[in-house]
Amino acid sequence: MNSILDLILRLDCWLLLAPLLPGIINKVKAWVAGRRGPPVLQLYYDLARLWKKGVVMSTLASPAFVVLPAVTWVAVLGAAMLLPLGPLGAGLSFRGDALLLLYLLALGRFCTAWAAMETGSAFEGMGTVREVSYAVLAEAAMIAAVLSLSVQSGSISLAAMLAPAMGASAALLAAGLFIVLLAENCRVPFDDPATHLELTMIHEVMVLDHSGPPLAVILHGAAMKLLLFTVLLVQAVLPMAHLKPLLAAAVLAGGVLAVTVAVGLVESLLARFAFRRVPLLLTTAFLLCLFALLVAWKGGLP
Amino acid sequence: MHTGLLLLVAAAAMLTSIGAGWRAPRVWLAAVLTSLAAVLAAALAVLGGGAEWVWRGGIAVGGEGLYLRLDAISALFLALLGVVGAAASVYAGEYWAEAAHPRSARPGRVWWSVMLLNLGWVLLASNGLHFLIGWELFTLAAYFLITLDRQRREVRAAGWLYLGASHAAVLALFGFFTLLAVRTGSWDLGPMRDRPELAPLFWLALFGFGLKAGMFPLHIWLPSAHATAPSHVSAMLSGVTLKIGIYGLVRFSGWLPVPLAAGAVVAGLGVASAVLGVAFALGQHDLKRLLAYHSVENIGIILLGLGFALVAASQGNPGWGRLALAGGLLHVWNHGLFKALLFFGAGSVLHSTGTREMSRLGGLWRAMPWTAGSFALGAVAISGLPPLNGFVSEWLVYLGLIDATLARGAAAWAALGAAILLGVTGALALACFVKVCGVVFLGAPRSNEAAGAHECGPAMRGAMGVLAGMCVAIGLAPLVFWPAIARAAGAWNPAWAGTDPPAPLLQLGWVHVALVLLVAVAAGWLWRRVRARGLARAVTWDCGYAAPTARMQYTAGSFGGLISEWFAGILRPERHEQRPEGYFPAAAALTEHTPETVLERVVEPAGRAVLRVSALVRRLQHGRVQAYVMYILIGLVALAAWACLAGA
Repeated sequence: MNSILDLILRLDCWLLLAPLLPGIINKVKAWVAGRRGPPVLQLYYDLARLWKKGVVMSTLASPAFVVLPAVTWVAVLGAAMLLPLGPLGAGLSFRGDALLLLYLLALGRFCTAWAAMETGSAFEGMGTVREVSYAVLAEAAMIAAVLSLSVQSGSISLAAMLAPAMGASAALLAAGLFIVLLAENCRVPFDDPATHLELTMIHEVMVLDHSGPPLAVILHGAAMKLLLFTVLLVQAVLPMAHLKPLLAAAVLAGGVLAVTVAVGLVESLLARFAFRRVPLLLTTAFLLCLFALLVAWKGGLP
Repeated sequence: MHTGLLLLVAAAAMLTSIGAGWRAPRVWLAAVLTSLAAVLAAALAVLGGGAEWVWRGGIAVGGEGLYLRLDAISALFLALLGVVGAAASVYAGEYWAEAAHPRSARPGRVWWSVMLLNLGWVLLASNGLHFLIGWELFTLAAYFLITLDRQRREVRAAGWLYLGASHAAVLALFGFFTLLAVRTGSWDLGPMRDRPELAPLFWLALFGFGLKAGMFPLHIWLPSAHATAPSHVSAMLSGVTLKIGIYGLVRFSGWLPVPLAAGAVVAGLGVASAVLGVAFALGQHDLKRLLAYHSVENIGIILLGLGFALVAASQGNPGWGRLALAGGLLHVWNHGLFKALLFFGAGSVLHSTGTREMSRLGGLWRAMPWTAGSFALGAVAISGLPPLNGFVSEWLVYLGLIDATLARGAAAWAALGAAILLGVTGALALACFVKVCGVVFLGAPRSNEAAGAHECGPAMRGAMGVLAGMCVAIGLAPLVFWPAIARAAGAWNPAWAGTDPPAPLLQLGWVHVALVLLVAVAAGWLWRRVRARGLARAVTWDCGYAAPTARMQYTAGSFGGLISEWFAGILRPERHEQRPEGYFPAAAALTEHTPETVLERVVEPAGRAVLRVSALVRRLQHGRVQAYVMYILIGLVALAAWACLAGA
């Protein structure tokens, strides 16, 4: 009974709260620019609207084009279920679940890329190439981050990795993971979610031909992925294991909000980088995570 | 049934099939399948916990009495031979049928049986001489299979390269077994871990077996041979015969002592093979050549596991070595299954369109849904994505590496680097398979051949279905297959005997099952929703452009461009471009090609240098008798002088 309650609570957190984040980011951007901006709940309205619409599909696409967004969505949700959620802990925890999380996200990427290639569009091909190529560097950074957490805690399961107090490497890790967050969720300076020029986009251009309920699923999945990275970043850096449950929940929520606002600020203050400079920035993220790993290594020596 | 009896049946059936191959294709297929089923049963009996089977016969071959042994390591590879061999034999019946290949179908069947027989023989032989005989015979049989279609120049060239490279390996192995026989006084093979003076022989074995396995930088023969061979042969070469090289390394690193540096060297070569194999694959535009480079990558992952197991064995057998070894051994199975599946898919495409050039394909899913579906499954598996088998083995290797780090031993640093590079390899493989699937099966057809494609027949589909099913089975129920892997690991290093899983494979299996169920539910739900809301078709959005054509799609070259640039220092891609010029540009062209860099930039120049030096020496020999007499005179004078000086 308790576990069912736990599951429902956890699902609520991921499914219902995720679409808040893009809304908050947009609000921050609007405030910085001196506009009122769309309501924070805009994505919820968009999702509801899309869910009721019909679908227009490319003549070239196979039925998989409609179904693959669901696979991506399940993969991201599965990854989210593995991640401990503050006082709730992890829904399922075992040795090596951190790697499963990374590879579930990769599965999502594969399905999105496959669906993009279905349409035979030059733009979507372009976006796919960028996505899968940059993911190589992002993956290296993520593995380094996982290793640093693992070295710091002496464990390979997320619940134990994210539990110990903040190590000396937290600042480096936070910076590295923040850059990876921006890259993996296609935010500025890697990609501009607000742009309408196909040539310059990554994620948005991959989903150009989607519409109706599948697009709703894609947008919701993207929001969940953003929340996942935010929660991972906050828990990797802030020590919450020893706090009381309510306080821990509050700290987690505050942390997520802070990161989201930071994303909004970055988006307001920075322009998108030229594509030539993207690998450089991702390499920087990798190096930050690598240095975090080295610090964790040194710190852990007896 | 008794193991010996099963193997006898297998040998008899395979010999029958050699006889039947020329005249009676059906009898041939029945005999081959019977034989492989018997082999599989024998292997599974040993892997399922049965006793090791050792047999010494009175019959002497080449002056040596027969000495066969089937332990868990042999059984692991024999099981792979059984499954992939059977699927490929069924596939071959349709793919290389009498009607389409009247000249080569018959010898193809005969050589096929010869190769299978000798592969099995190599896996069972426990005598150095017999091992070498079997090795040479299956190498030759494979040569004749690669060059079945020898009217084409590229096939003959690939065959020669294969034959030459293979014999360099045979030479090294000849040295290895002879030196071993000299030092032990017998051709018999078996555990001799307490003879440290045998350790240096490992380097010979590494060269010989590594070359056969396609380890970087000894992989030079692999891409062209796998690309130009008939696809059922490619599947067998990549799925099974490469693994025979791995078998050799596993077998003799388990039986013989190894030098201290062996683990680090094997792991280092493994990482290099993994990363560079996939980097080269990204630069290819020939479908089968690309798959061939992925074999280099996957062999790298296997070697990475084996290398860390060797390191662990030299450091007092900590548990992470067992994890790494188990990951590597499971990857032997996994790669055999999904790579054969992918080559079957590629063969089906080639069969239907007549081209391996990816830039001439596209949109094949419509005509070939079965092929596209099973190729996609293979692509997910080889990219190491859950919930399929590729992830399970890579995950085990990862766990081994991270445990090695956490143990903070001497190997910890190397393990950190290897884990990060393994992650990079995975992401690169994903990029590469998105490229393959996207360019070959999705979008619009780029040529008339692609537009006129057709699905392959039931035999080829069935073969793909069996392998796809195995990939799914290992992914969803890894714990079922674990004891077999554990027994092989225990046979390799007795310190790691026992079948308790060191990693939470049960949980992983359940997560995979849950994932599949959830995907089915979510996808079904979304599909119903879309049907209920209405589904209209329209042309792909191309920025409002009114006349999109198939040529506007991203090609294999444009897809790999970005990553090829990052690795340009090693790949050395060749690029010729004619930029559009003037106010009304008329002509523009861009061609990009990733060469066989190691072959063309290293091996061939070295070969030419050797030839040049030889040509200098050859000037001494020109046919003028007077000069020869002078050589003799000079020689005699020199000898006389030496004798005088040495005497004084």
